[in-house]
Amino acid sequence: MSGEPRKLVGRRVPRKEDKRLLLGHAQYVADIKLPGMMHASLVRSPYAHARITAVDTGACSDDARVAAVLTGEDVRHVPPLPSADAEPTAKQFLQPILATDKVRYVGEPIAIVVATDRYVAEDVATLVRVDYDVLPAVVSPADALAADASILHFDSNVADVWRFSVGDRERLKYAPHRLRRSFKTQRFAGTPLETRGVIADWDQARERLTVYTSTQVPHFVRDIVAAYLNLPQSAVRVVAPDVGGAFGAKIQPYNEDILIALLALQLKRPVKWIEDRYEHFVASNHGREQIHDIEVAYDDDGVIRGLSDDIITNAGAYLQAFTFADASCAVLTVRGPYRIPVFEASATTVVSNKTPLNPFRGVGMAQAAFAIERTMDEIARERGLDPIDVRLKNLLGSAELPIDREVPMTFQGSVIDSGDYAPALLRAKELIDYSVFREQQARLRTAGRYLGIGFGAYIEKTALGPFEASSVSVDTSGTVTVLSGAGPSGQGTDTTLSQIVADELGVPIEDIRVIHGDTDRVPYGVGTYGSRMAAVGGTAVRLTGRKVREKAISIAAELLEASDADLELVDGKAIVRGSPSHFVSLGDIARAVMPGSPLPAGVTEYGLGASEVFVPAAEAFAFGTVAATVEVDMETGVVTPLRLVMVGDSGTIINPLLVEGQYQGGLSLGVGGALLEELVYDDQGQPVSCNFMDYLMPQVDSIPEIILDHTITASPLNPDGIKGAGESGAIAPPAAIANAVSDALSPFGISINETPITPSKVYDLLLEAGLLRRSGDAGSAVEDGRDARG
Amino acid sequence: MSLHSISLTVNGTKYTREVPSRLTLADFLRESLDLTGTHLGCEHGVCGVCTILVNGRLARSCLMLAVQADAVEIRTIEGIGSEGMLHPVQTAFWQRHGTQCGFCTAGFVITAVELFERENSPTRDEVLDALGGVLCRCTGYVKIVEAVDEALESRRDTPGTATEPGEPNVR
Repeated sequence: MSGEPRKLVGRRVPRKEDKRLLLGHAQYVADIKLPGMMHASLVRSPYAHARITAVDTGACSDDARVAAVLTGEDVRHVPPLPSADAEPTAKQFLQPILATDKVRYVGEPIAIVVATDRYVAEDVATLVRVDYDVLPAVVSPADALAADASILHFDSNVADVWRFSVGDRERLKYAPHRLRRSFKTQRFAGTPLETRGVIADWDQARERLTVYTSTQVPHFVRDIVAAYLNLPQSAVRVVAPDVGGAFGAKIQPYNEDILIALLALQLKRPVKWIEDRYEHFVASNHGREQIHDIEVAYDDDGVIRGLSDDIITNAGAYLQAFTFADASCAVLTVRGPYRIPVFEASATTVVSNKTPLNPFRGVGMAQAAFAIERTMDEIARERGLDPIDVRLKNLLGSAELPIDREVPMTFQGSVIDSGDYAPALLRAKELIDYSVFREQQARLRTAGRYLGIGFGAYIEKTALGPFEASSVSVDTSGTVTVLSGAGPSGQGTDTTLSQIVADELGVPIEDIRVIHGDTDRVPYGVGTYGSRMAAVGGTAVRLTGRKVREKAISIAAELLEASDADLELVDGKAIVRGSPSHFVSLGDIARAVMPGSPLPAGVTEYGLGASEVFVPAAEAFAFGTVAATVEVDMETGVVTPLRLVMVGDSGTIINPLLVEGQYQGGLSLGVGGALLEELVYDDQGQPVSCNFMDYLMPQVDSIPEIILDHTITASPLNPDGIKGAGESGAIAPPAAIANAVSDALSPFGISINETPITPSKVYDLLLEAGLLRRSGDAGSAVEDGRDARG
Repeated sequence: MSLHSISLTVNGTKYTREVPSRLTLADFLRESLDLTGTHLGCEHGVCGVCTILVNGRLARSCLMLAVQADAVEIRTIEGIGSEGMLHPVQTAFWQRHGTQCGFCTAGFVITAVELFERENSPTRDEVLDALGGVLCRCTGYVKIVEAVDEALESRRDTPGTATEPGEPNVR
């Protein structure tokens, strides 16, 4: 074939990794079986807040099936779990790997037992006797901040207060209108279908520890395990095998990673722990619980003059590695894609007797989008304006970007690199058939049916640093091995990275093998979070592939006695352009520089390969608009989503099939957050939705029709112009759906300011509005619905 | 723990094993037979990722005990398709990107295969009803439903039960 070879980047390439998943041949942590392996089970607190007065392990120590028992006293010398971005003052809020004096949430680990199999381990764990002196529980931020609050740690339940302002507050005096609203986002569980799990194996002969763990950050876990066990990093290998979803719940080096490693070292045999689903709900980090108190000043025509936001994040009992990200990302993104000249924020992070909080897909950004996008609709309602018009008046124009949001982020920047917001909003308006819907809505209202439409614009900080590393090498058979630090949890990284390398080296995608998630194979790596895999991991591979390409061409030029400029890499060969019979295969190029062979003239190093690290200068901001239509059942309060539209801009797209998958998955999680999911705690701090019957993840019929489209605004921050896509879909649906429900109920002045929008909450609002007392109102569905509640 | 002898057929192979009375069928398959393609997502019968076929009917292997599986015939994901010959449902999941992390995939594939073999042209509601028993956190279900539709469609086009995987259908 002549002409430019067809590139794979930009095409809908089905995934390389799927065959093993489809045939049941994948290997998740739970699937790994090692000779002589023992099984661990943890003793966890049944109380939210209590003093431990005694821990008695006598009964299980007498049991021959028990190999080891550890309590908090046994591991007092081990440092608390790390907090990557904690201020020095935050040290008092860190978590011991096993509780000693006090427990601070239901599910906090107190002891761990190791036995011959999992069934036995769970049996003997029940023999550990713990005596408690129960204390009053802190559940809500209000509890935490109360004057007579029960104190979790030393002297205060406030872990951090961060204030920030930009612009001249004086200018707000002249704004003719202002409104205040409080917006509340609930607590989520990550709920990957694969729970967490750890196997550790100590090889005494080689003095090496191997830890298999279901994690997003194998290198981080390696560093922590080595440090906490006083082992050199070279003695610790961490492997993340196939990871069955993560969503943020696997971004933390956990107690169990350290404990299982410690036990393997102590017992000199492999130890395995697999989290069960109840444990996942109480022991894996939660996400998002946050309140935004917004005050906004605006003009007659809805133009915002200034915004203040007092944010409270309920961090749960301890600060984890990245707990403050919910506060900082919310402050950074609560202005959304809008031109807001005056902005003030305070971000208070409080501790409470709940499971610790850490980033969850859409960290801080989803809560911020809920606050600002609901605010836009409230301004429109107050002024009698169209919500789309209010947004258009406030959107930043592309010429105003890049813009520095001037938020002093600890590890990251605050510059929005690029964007063009109005086209995405207008395209979403078109795809959801805005004017047709408005007509239909008016018509159905006269028949007593209440439909609504809502929009949610979002910005998403993606492509997080600090870096990603990669190596690309070609062997003498002409196949390519790619090492990447961006180990995936289902994103299709092997395929995405292979597409890039295939284009650089002109090799078939089948001839590329991607290796990740193994700290022995990949010396430097960060992981998969913050929508960074393609933009940061992909760019590292792009730069590395390019280096190898240049090397291959210059070696081939020597071998073919041609000039570099006349060569191209196609179908695994370097070909003289226009003379396809004049070529050398990539394998032969690699052979020509094999150590031991005389190097071709002009070539100075052995091997056809290269390593590169990509350090992004800043974060790339993806953006877009989600639109939703809903119908509210006026008798039961049930909200049925009818249609979701998402127009996303993730910059240059490597594989549209996979980006669609990310968007759809994110939207689904957003629907769950809008309507279904919530970790509910009672006033004693007992979590009461810790199984899949009570914590409602979306099912196949929870998801309405989804229409996707893209705008493409290349990021200037990497050569391909890539922005992230992983979290995009998850950010705006709660805002769009809450706007749609508020729109449906606008005749009654009802506003939806918290999620999830459950039938009972809507029912109560209908009741408050007096709508459910009007029984027998002919021609209207608005009747006494109390019996219909079920 | 008392042991009980069970004899059963799994993916065409006959096994006789001694099992403790409390061993779940899922753990028996995974630990005793090393068939780890059947995954455990909740162990309380809700998520459906451990779904297998017992005497041709869908069952949650986390809710059955191994002792209940005496004299039955079981199919697990390892018995559906092979390296060289994916089942049409598997082919469609691959082409349509119906799997992301892959952890729930066996549950969906088994469920869809059962529907594929039972119903000639199921309605949309029947498809959704069938797939409603399995949870997925990654895909939002859109591409799973598309894959099942495509598999059912492919059978209407070309009768037969298996297709060559062939080259990726790059569009």
